This record gives sequence, C-alpha cells and structure tokens, in this order.
Amino acid sequence: MQSASVSKICALIGGLTVLALSPSAAQAQSKTITEWDLQTNPGPAKILDDAGARFDKANPGFKVEQSHIMNDAYKTKLKIAFGANQPPCVFSSWGGGPLKEYVKAGQVVDLSSYLAKDAAYRDRFATAGFSTVTFDGKVYGIPAENTVAAVVFYNKEIFAKEKLETPKTWDDLLNVVKVLKAKGIAPFSLANKNKWTGSMYYVYLVDRIGGPGVFAKAAARAPGGSFTDPAFIEAGKRIQELVKAGAFAEGYNGLDYDVGASRRLLYSGKAAMELIGTWEASTILGENPEFYKKLDFFQFPSVPGGKGSPTTVLGTIGDNFFSISSACKEPDAAFKLIQSLTDDISAQARLDDKRIIPVKGLKTSDPFLNRVMKLVADASSVQFWYDQELSPNLAQVHLNTTQALFGLSITPEAAAQQMEDAAKAEAK
Amino acid sequence: MTFEDAQLTAVPHAERFASLKAAMPIVVFLVPAVLFLVVFLLYPLISSFQLSLLDWNGLGTGERFVGLDNWVRLAQDKLFWGALRNNLALAFFSVLFQIPIALLLAVVLDEASKGSRILKILYFLPLLMSSVALGVVFKNIYDPNFGPINAFLSAVHLDALVHDWLGDPRLALGSVIVVICWQNIPFYMVLFLAGLSSFPSELGEAARLDGASESTIFWRIKLPFLQGTVRTAITLAIVGSMRYFDLIFIMTDGGPEGSSELMATYMFRTVFSSFQLGYGSTVASAMFLIVILVAAITMRLTRRYETEV
Repeated sequence: MQSASVSKICALIGGLTVLALSPSAAQAQSKTITEWDLQTNPGPAKILDDAGARFDKANPGFKVEQSHIMNDAYKTKLKIAFGANQPPCVFSSWGGGPLKEYVKAGQVVDLSSYLAKDAAYRDRFATAGFSTVTFDGKVYGIPAENTVAAVVFYNKEIFAKEKLETPKTWDDLLNVVKVLKAKGIAPFSLANKNKWTGSMYYVYLVDRIGGPGVFAKAAARAPGGSFTDPAFIEAGKRIQELVKAGAFAEGYNGLDYDVGASRRLLYSGKAAMELIGTWEASTILGENPEFYKKLDFFQFPSVPGGKGSPTTVLGTIGDNFFSISSACKEPDAAFKLIQSLTDDISAQARLDDKRIIPVKGLKTSDPFLNRVMKLVADASSVQFWYDQELSPNLAQVHLNTTQALFGLSITPEAAAQQMEDAAKAEAK
Repeated sequence: MTFEDAQLTAVPHAERFASLKAAMPIVVFLVPAVLFLVVFLLYPLISSFQLSLLDWNGLGTGERFVGLDNWVRLAQDKLFWGALRNNLALAFFSVLFQIPIALLLAVVLDEASKGSRILKILYFLPLLMSSVALGVVFKNIYDPNFGPINAFLSAVHLDALVHDWLGDPRLALGSVIVVICWQNIPFYMVLFLAGLSSFPSELGEAARLDGASESTIFWRIKLPFLQGTVRTAITLAIVGSMRYFDLIFIMTDGGPEGSSELMATYMFRTVFSSFQLGYGSTVASAMFLIVILVAAITMRLTRRYETEV
C-alpha cells in the first residue's frame, strides 16, 4: 500500500517535471541572441524590431531578444551588465572613449575578420564611418544609426523680421547677438544641465581657432600636445565673451535638454538659435511640425585669425555603432544580426525617418538630408564629440570645466589647466 | 580536573539537551534574518571596502591594487567635501522644516479628527508620487522662462525676486531642498499622527478641567508624550538626508558646477560616468562611515528623550 502511493507520487512528480520541462525543451533548439540599443522613440525602435524579425526568419534556430533602453539609463545598465559578466550579445554605443574602455577590458569582439570575409558588406560603408570604432587598426563596431553634424538651427521668421543674415564670421555672430538681444529675444537657446550641449560650442571654437590637430595631439598626449594650448584658452575666452554679451537664454546652465527645455524656447520665439546635432530636425518635426517650416540651419562661423577650416564639422558618422560582446556564445549569428540591423531595408527606413546611415550611394529627395550629407562630404575633417572621444574620466573633467566656463565661475586658463592636470594624471 | 570542570561534566545529559532544545526556536527564527543581513548587507559592505583599495574601471580584469591611495585622494577631494557639506545642509534644513511642519499638521489634523480624513489623504499624496515624476514637474515649475514661479513674480512686479532657480549655483541646492521637504513632510506627519493616536484622551480632559489652555496642553503634555517619536523622526530625517539621491539626481544632477552635488550623486557619477569603480567604492565606503558616525552622534545627543515603546 505504502509503496504504491510512493510510486504514484513519483509518477506525479515525474509527470510534472516533464510538463515543466517540455516548453523549454522545445525552445532549447532556438538559441537566443540578445540585443540592446537606445532607440526608444517608436519610429527608430520599429526599424530595429523589423530587422530583428527578418533575422529570425532568415536564421531558423535563432531568436532575437531586443531591448530598447532610455539613453542615460542605458549607459548605466550596460556598464552593470558587463561588470556582472552578463552583457547582451549585441549592443550599441557611440564608439570612442567609452567603447575603448570595454575593448581594453577584452569585452568586445574584434570584427575585422568578419568584415574581411564579407568585403561587399564592408565596402558598402563610408570608410570614415569606422573611424571612431577602430582601435589599434581593429574594427569593433558597425555604424548603424545616423550621420550627425552639429549646426546652428535658427528661426527664419525672426531673422527675416530683424533683417539678419546668417553669420559667416565670429564678428557677424556677435552682431546677430547684439541685434536680437536689443529686441528682447534670447539669441541662443542652450540646455546646459546636460553639459554635452555646451561642450559643442567649445569644440567648434577650439577647432576654428587651432585647427583639428590641437585636440588630437592633446588627447593622444603626443609631443607638443597640451590642453593648455592657446587654442583651448582662446576658446574659453570666446565662450565667456558670448555669455557676457547675453547670448544665451535665461537659466541655461540649469535647463534640461532631455525634457525639451531648449526646444521650447525656440518654439515660443523666445530664442532664435540653437547649436545642436542635426538629429534635432527630426525631433522638431515630430514635436512641432508647424515650427519645422520656420526652421533652417547654418554652419558654425569662422573665427578671425583662426587656423581651422570653416568647413570642419563637429559630429559623428554612424552615431550609434553595433558591437558584439566577447561573452556572446554565438558571435557568428550575432554578426548576421548586425547585418540585418544595417541592411538596405533598414538603411532606407532610416532615411525615410530623416536619418542617414553612412552607406555609400544613398539617394534621397529630402533637401534637408541632402544638405547634411553635403556638409559632411565637403568637410575637411570631422571632429568627434570630445565627451565621447576622451576617456570617461577626462570626458567628465571636460564637461564640468566647460559648464563652469559658461557659468563664468572659472577662468579659461584655469579650465585648461584642470584638463591638462587630469590628462597628465591619467597618462601616468 | 578542576572543580569547575567537574561541575560542567556533572550536568546531567538530559538537562543540557533541554537547554539546547530551548535555544532551537531562537536559532531557527534568527537564521533567515541573519542570513539575509549577511548576504545583502555585510557581504556588499566588505566587498565595497575591498574595491576601495583598487584602481579598476569595473570591466573585466585589469584591476590594480593601490592600497590606500584612493582614501588619500578622497581626503583631498574638494568635490567630495563640498558634497558632504551639501548633505549636512540638507540634513539641517530637513530637521528645521520637515519636523515642525509635520508636527503642526499632525496635531491640527488630530484635533479635527473626523472631518479631516480627506485632508489626511490629500496631505499624504506627495509621498505617494514617484520622485521622477515629481522632479520633472518641479523642473518645469522652476523653469526661468516658462515656469509659473517667475511668471507670478513678474506679474506682481516683484522682478527683484525673479531668479534662475536651478541654474544659479547659489540657489540650485536650496530650490531642490524645498521640494525634498515638501515631499517628505507627509511621512513625518503620519508618524506623529500614529503617535498621537495612542495619546490617552483623559489626560487632555483632566488638563482642561484644571483650566489648562490648548497651547499648554500641547507644549506640556502632548509634546513630551511624543518625544520618543520626535527623536525617531529627527534621526530618520538626518540619516535620510545623508544618503539622499533621487530628486537631486533628477532635478540638477548635482549641478550647476557641482553646487548641489551630494555624496550619493557624486558616487554615482564617479562609478558610472567616469568609470572609476575603485574610487567610487571609496566614496561609498566613506559615505557609510559618515552616515554611521552622524547617526551615532544623533542618537547619543538625543538619548535623554528616549522612551520605551
């Protein structure tokens, strides 16, 4: 009697176990490829989802698990995932300094051999698209989202009303500032709580004043390179000149870009210009199509006596880059997934969404996109964002000192010295 | 064999077993709690101290043991001491504003007892709101160009009071502290209401018969009755302020120019923005020591108000 009930229980447990295991047994055949990115807006996220679905269809046995994560939370989450040795298979980044940290720690797969095997795929991309993800001659990412240049967006209506021309030189710009200020319109809208927004002014000024080599040499600690180079100090002075001329809308150092504080100033006509990446156009089109009609842009003006070319562009060719983590068990499939995420269908879909993957021979009838593409094509060089190019630690020093420059609470000399000290300490 | 030993062995076997049996429930009931404390408190604490001795970006291998270098750097780090000063300011103003206002609300609501149920719920609402939502709302309220505060001040011609609330390094911390107080007052209000609910009404009635005024009843009877609760509230407010993170992180992110940086936001930035896990752990460990120290001092200074609960 007792043995009978025991065997019954055993059978029951066994049955339950089979029941519990059977769904996962079926799933065990399809391997999961995790993918993380930071495209949370419905449009861009759908392009990635569709590409993931195409990959699933073309590669039976694999299943993509995609997560679209908010910008700032993404950086934190990615770092924790890597630190805990549970990174996603495919992840996106901006390349540059932060990605290099992961590469240095041996956490990222070198994609050079994959690209060498599939030369047709590699040659689809503009070579410059790989520049921010290439370390020691090895490629660690695929440019995926956009080509971005920082430009000055402005309100055509205000400029027409005040009979203003778009400024070509620094003195023109100061004059525009003066005229707008006299009319009670804030010349620039700047949301500098985020710090990288104000950094753009600094980067452009350094480049216009000293040329592209100054920063590259200082960052690489090359002989003769220093963050106390006169170009950095002069750039700080020009920023403070703008601040003192009242060029920025009230409260700029406390305004938050992420909640649209700078765009709100443009929409309401309280501010006339904003220096920001060209992605802003599609954001504005989505938020305020009426205002989009009044929108135009010009390139950052030249600085008298500056060594830099006025065609140099601050921006990124690729914007987001997909990489594969070393912990990924199926790197071959992961690379196929990246190929799906950047295939022709995705490229066209992004183009329709006003974003340009750096793929050769893209054609569009959109005048705005054509202008951006021409801007980048004509640029004598493309300067990457400082806060992404530098190591994470130096990037923080750069961002903090630049915000303080805008707040007039530090001298340009002291800011440059802080940068140099930090760079020296890190090079040790 | 000494006398004591002999006595020990002389204890009858059964008796020892009985005392062991009596201890069993104690052990069984304590084990889960101790286990959780060890896993989630003691272990992270010790490993955080260990990490504070490393120079490490938190990714893969490549950590370097640097001994006490991080601690020396911390001692000279102006940003950290500035953050500590901000924490102390937050603690001071939290105690100064949150406790008295909460006490006042609690006493008034308690007096009004029946009709005050809706008010109790209303006053409790700020505590129920998510800090992120609250932070975004107040960011808009403080907005110098579109926010209602500056719009109101201009409308009543008090332009001298129009300020850049979150963008001015002198005002940013204060502006956020106001919101923090507003959010946390309901918590202490509930604490005091709970304390007052056990206040024996015959004490008040007796005092009234003896001709005591309402203010005498409050100062001489109710407040002393609540002293243990007040002490708890003050301790909680101070410890909470020393570890504070969320609204500062959302509204100013420690800025502008680090003027509203707290120890916790500084730690977060060091680890997640600058990739310095070692130094960030040093900040975290120092923060732990400081919080313990401040809490101990608070407890010691307020010991005479301790009441048996």
